[in-house]
Amino acid sequence: MSTRLGLRDLTRQHPGQPVPALHGLDVDVDAGACLALLGPSGSGKSTALRLIAGLDTPTRGRVLLDGKDVTSTPAEKRGIAMVFQRPLLFPHLSVIDNIAFAARAAGLSRRDSRSASRRYLELVQLGDLAGRSVGDISGGQAQRVALARSLAAEPKVLLLDEPFSALDSALRGDMYALLRTVRNELNPTIVVVTHDQSEAAVVADSIAVLIAGTPEHHSDVRTAYVRPSTLAVHRLMGGLNEFHGCVTAGVHHSGLGSHELPAGVSMRDGPAALVFRHEMVRLTSAADSALPGKITSLQPAGIRCLACVRVGESSVFVELEPQVNLTVGADVGVLLPAGALHAISTAP
Amino acid sequence: MGRAVRAVLMLWFLLPFVPILLWAFANRWPFPDPLPQQWGLDGVRSGLTAGAPHAFVVSTAIGLAVAAIATPAGALAARALVSGRLPLPRLSEAVLFAPLVLPAFAVAMGLDVLVLRTRVPGPFAVVAVLSVAAIPYTTYLMRVAFGAYDKGFEEEARTLGASRATVLLRVQVPLLAPALSGAAFLAFLVGWSDYVVTLLVGGGRVVSVPILVGSFAAGTGNSAVVAALSLAAVVPPLILLVVVARAGRRTEPPT
Repeated sequence: MSTRLGLRDLTRQHPGQPVPALHGLDVDVDAGACLALLGPSGSGKSTALRLIAGLDTPTRGRVLLDGKDVTSTPAEKRGIAMVFQRPLLFPHLSVIDNIAFAARAAGLSRRDSRSASRRYLELVQLGDLAGRSVGDISGGQAQRVALARSLAAEPKVLLLDEPFSALDSALRGDMYALLRTVRNELNPTIVVVTHDQSEAAVVADSIAVLIAGTPEHHSDVRTAYVRPSTLAVHRLMGGLNEFHGCVTAGVHHSGLGSHELPAGVSMRDGPAALVFRHEMVRLTSAADSALPGKITSLQPAGIRCLACVRVGESSVFVELEPQVNLTVGADVGVLLPAGALHAISTAP
Repeated sequence: MGRAVRAVLMLWFLLPFVPILLWAFANRWPFPDPLPQQWGLDGVRSGLTAGAPHAFVVSTAIGLAVAAIATPAGALAARALVSGRLPLPRLSEAVLFAPLVLPAFAVAMGLDVLVLRTRVPGPFAVVAVLSVAAIPYTTYLMRVAFGAYDKGFEEEARTLGASRATVLLRVQVPLLAPALSGAAFLAFLVGWSDYVVTLLVGGGRVVSVPILVGSFAAGTGNSAVVAALSLAAVVPPLILLVVVARAGRRTEPPT
């Protein structure tokens, strides 16, 4: 079922539009790996998915499956299945016949196609709903059936276009667990589109970020969080701390002071923004820190709390552990994550 | 809707059938008697001997032929109209819906000469003209259906390996079945119930149920046979209506 997917300079400019919806996407997804295409609304994520599936034709570039160019292969012969944001279950077919659709389209009898589909229905834990009408199942169940239907087509690559965005958080959690089960049992190559960085981090091995149709970052999940390629990627990944200044000989200078960048990270001298994750900043007593400050606000974030600490003229955001009990106005010291400091060039 | 309103509506639809029903089984009903003096099947017998079975076959054939032509033509026209890729869409729309504003009588009067001169067989000409008259109805109905139709189903089917033919047969047609059957029903009715076009373009040689009813109605003392034929003419469309209503709810049952 697994196949290596390659995208080369994939570009789509819709007629009459001044700028391409997608511009020069170059990505490789190893067989059995899961890539998350992350970006805000209108960034070209779904366009990319449609080009990979063969539902749209690229203006330029190629789609490769195990090195073979399939750019001009029609969608139905490409072996790439897609689960859309809406389940799009065929309303005239029962649950089992929806899952059996690919087998029926391939020429199997109704009996054989239903029999072959049972495995996938069991995989999504809906074995007892086989005979139900699709109008009689819940939204979460419908999305499971849609996933089973795509898996039953035994695709080389599975595309997921924000398939969990319409579900509530509990159902989304269930679907993430189901996706892990599917990956363990069938090991498909997956490309999932999402605008939610936390979802991308939960389901994917690597993240490619699209901003206004242009790929700005591609890396493993941790690197996307800690060492984003651009400020837009940093912000999209939920980063709150960015301090504009300049880099000289591997040291970033800004209103926050001078901070040596980690060894091994090459950074040219010039204007740059220092960024780091608020989850990795620690607080200590003001006396023990080179960055003493005062808490100016505390914003609850679930069981944790997001503190804003005023250090000189700068504000540093810190995510506090549940057990930390501080109040606004408290004097604290800020400990930056020395190994996870990162500078992004802001040279024009 | 209130029960009283429903009752009034039912009465509105059924009331015209009462005199027809009484006349169909009345051998003698002189004025001013409120009910027939003598009940019987004289009207039915007269209809049968005057060629009613053949007229029913002709009307059914015309209705089915018009439905078979106007339904796919209307579906294709509607698809083209909603696709947004049609050049001069307003003009195309005006041409498609023109038969609705042109009086059938005027068109038929002009066409009968053309049909005679070109020696197109009458039945073919009748079906052709009635199909043109039915296409606006089928196009309108299918345009509404295509407007609400989600092309995402087709795209999903294609990514599942369905060829274009499979998409058409297993996705598009089933999803549009209610609208298609409704359009076919309307087109059938256009063919089934037409009088003017069949009479003028058919040149009197195409004897359908309306033509037979019209010929009896033109004479005197034929109220019983006219009523019997009219009553019988309602049955096929009613059966079709039931079939159409059920078509929308059909699903592939699991074994």
